[in-house]
Amino acid sequence: MMRLLIVDDSNIIRSRIMRIVLAGTLPGAQIVGMARDGMQAVMMFKAHQPDVVTMDLTMPNMDGIRCIEEIMAINPDVPILVISALADKTTAIAALRKGARGFLNKPFTEKQLVAALKEVISDDE
Amino acid sequence: MNKKDISESELRVFITAVTEYFQALAGEPAQVRSAYLGADLTVPQSYDYTGLITISGNYRGCVYFSCRQVLLRRLLVCMGENDHSEANLLDAVGEVANTISGNARKHFGAALEISVPVTIHGPTESIRAAVRARPFVITIDWLGQAAIVMIDLERLI
Repeated sequence: MMRLLIVDDSNIIRSRIMRIVLAGTLPGAQIVGMARDGMQAVMMFKAHQPDVVTMDLTMPNMDGIRCIEEIMAINPDVPILVISALADKTTAIAALRKGARGFLNKPFTEKQLVAALKEVISDDE
Repeated sequence: MNKKDISESELRVFITAVTEYFQALAGEPAQVRSAYLGADLTVPQSYDYTGLITISGNYRGCVYFSCRQVLLRRLLVCMGENDHSEANLLDAVGEVANTISGNARKHFGAALEISVPVTIHGPTESIRAAVRARPFVITIDWLGQAAIVMIDLERLI
């Protein structure tokens, strides 16, 4: 069972991640919440205690880097996969230093997303 | 504060970003029709949907992507999205602008700070008034539909 929280300010990206995750290539996957900014994500994380989180970085109210910090303070063991258009190394390193387990650049293919999720989950096993 | 225009070769980073965007999502890259430094008479009109990203940090300016509704509908189909509501059309045009700008940080680095997208359906005179006289213009064609990417960017020294 993999209980996933999706965090992205774009509705079409949240929906796309959900469709890919529920398509069957990740057996037992379940979506426990979809948040449109970091503040909502922290609230949903506390409420649902997901097993894994996908995290956008550029979002209103609370950005992804700050949100990773907040989630790590609640549960430092949860795997977080950053999914962002920000393609520079500095940002990727900053996210990993804050506690993210993986980094996937937008735009992404279905195969890339599934592979990245499997990788962050396998790190946890 | 001193300012310096971004070179034309640096701006070509955006050409790569826009063609790769459509390739990754749909398996069909956008075809670049033209890429040039625009002047008053050669800057094309925007289409009915526009996504705008404001640039800050060590750079100043904006990037915008503009296209017709039919292109956005095709994009949503490629993403497996059946909901073609106005909210999702605006979301899509903003996401294209956001991704193109974010991908450009591979070259410009984290000092190219990008805003969350502002999306517009309808006339964009206010944006055009804010863009300087000679923005970098990329006109593209994807699945037979035209779109433009406009980049107005300067480096703060």
